[in-house]
Amino acid sequence: MSATTINGVVIDDTFAEAFGMSGLGLVITADTLKWARISAEVMTGFGTSVIGCGAECGIDRELKPDETPDGRPGVRVLIFGFSPDALKPQLVNRVGQCVLTSPGSACYNGLDSPTTLALAAGPRFFGDGWQTAKKLGKRRFWRVPVMDGEFVIEDTCGVTTDAVGGGNLLVLGRDRAGLLEATEAAVDAIAKIDDVITPFPGGIVRSGSKVGSKYKGAIASTNDAFCPTLKGAVKTECSPDTIAVLEIVIDGLTSKSVADAMRVGLKTLIETGAAKGVTRVSAGNYGGKLGQHHYYLKDLLP
Amino acid sequence: MSTLSFTLRAAPTQVLDLSALIPSKLAGLSTGGIERLPLGADPHVPHVGDVFAVSGAPGEAVAILGGSPLLDYVGAGLDAGSITVEGPVGAYAGRGMRGGEITIGGDAGAYLASTAKGGLIHVKGSAGDFLGGARPGDKFGQLGGTVLVDGSVGERAGERMRRGIVVAKGKFGAAAGSRMVGGPLWTEAGFGPRPGPLLRRGTLIGPSVDELLPTFADCGRIDPVILRILSRYIADVLGPLAPKALPGAVRKLAGDQATIGKGEILLTA
Repeated sequence: MSATTINGVVIDDTFAEAFGMSGLGLVITADTLKWARISAEVMTGFGTSVIGCGAECGIDRELKPDETPDGRPGVRVLIFGFSPDALKPQLVNRVGQCVLTSPGSACYNGLDSPTTLALAAGPRFFGDGWQTAKKLGKRRFWRVPVMDGEFVIEDTCGVTTDAVGGGNLLVLGRDRAGLLEATEAAVDAIAKIDDVITPFPGGIVRSGSKVGSKYKGAIASTNDAFCPTLKGAVKTECSPDTIAVLEIVIDGLTSKSVADAMRVGLKTLIETGAAKGVTRVSAGNYGGKLGQHHYYLKDLLP
Repeated sequence: MSTLSFTLRAAPTQVLDLSALIPSKLAGLSTGGIERLPLGADPHVPHVGDVFAVSGAPGEAVAILGGSPLLDYVGAGLDAGSITVEGPVGAYAGRGMRGGEITIGGDAGAYLASTAKGGLIHVKGSAGDFLGGARPGDKFGQLGGTVLVDGSVGERAGERMRRGIVVAKGKFGAAAGSRMVGGPLWTEAGFGPRPGPLLRRGTLIGPSVDELLPTFADCGRIDPVILRILSRYIADVLGPLAPKALPGAVRKLAGDQATIGKGEILLTA
């Protein structure tokens, strides 16, 4: 494996292995951006990994009033799951518990797609018979009376099965604080790309996993090859000076958006990483046999 | 875009059915073939060539130069393209239309847009009774699409209307929204007496009501988000012709409580 060194950062000759997923987008609005964000953050909470959370969720971007159906500030969230069917209970629970309940909120489709899921199927029945619908053009909006007025929710939302989950960058460093700062900067750059989210806390995961475990019943376990405290004890991927490894996981509605996100993340790490103690950038894969999408770092270099 | 023009030779003396004069039915016909089309189902009705001078080539647009309240079913069944009428038209204009645009330079008769499912109708004059209404035998009236009337509207607009939007710059006559099941009627000038008899669902929006039915319950001032959605939607559909955006707060009157009462009159002033 021959690596490339740019600006003092080693770029491994490897690839990120990602999986086909189903994804949907929602637009959440409120009287203020603050409350749209609160609703969006709560509804995308506990949405880091599809394995344990049922869905991978995050905020794609903030929307100006002229970009939303009701002319109020909003936020676009993305939700990814194994299949459209697997997303159904996630929609009902997350929208029902976190958006319907949030002051002044409204919830709309945020993805044009010929395939749709019922968005209002659960929440509208909260209206106990007082809910009414208004169909404008091809879009139907439900109005559910609530204590601060009406909760408006669109009847259906688009869903795509062309989404990709698990694009990733592994960032190795010799300084913990600097590594975190550099990785945060990469996450911030990725946030500017449309149609992608970084679902882990703050966009960064420190507990990268490998498939399988010595324990029965556990389908994944710690990625020991990238654990710096084990680098003398296992066949390690860490460099001798590696003190910590952080991973950015990227889900996107299209393969291109994931590649674009990895590209800007990599660019940021190359441009600013060395000064912060970033020594290497690698990517996680399973040998290429599990995931349909392979993103080679050498193809994504700036 | 080629336009097929129909110029009235003289003012009609009998009711004529113009439902044949829509672009999809005229496509591929020669001028002679078009002139031989009958204007109605009766064997004795005149043909197109008896009433109109035909010019131009079939395409996306049909223009009717002239106008008369005896021209019924203008644009009935229209699915795409445009129909422009210089003057007034009779009853049933746009009946059952599914798409496209109809522009009427004068007044429109009764049952404008009855059973229409889509498309846009712009009446530059006033509209008659039962706009968007169901005629005997119809289950519902208007089922979709948008109607804009620059003038006033006759009585019982929206009779058993189910979906779609009617916007009037002028005033609606008596009993607007009669037995309506959905879809907004929106006026910038107000409603005549007793709007919404047996209104089931749907929304009547306007600054005033001449006389309110006793079966509407005052819900006070509200500021629902749907008003913003409606304003933006109609601005998208009608562009510069759209009415002024609705205010943030309106007074809601819920009814008709003589039936399921899920409809509403929203007073904007």
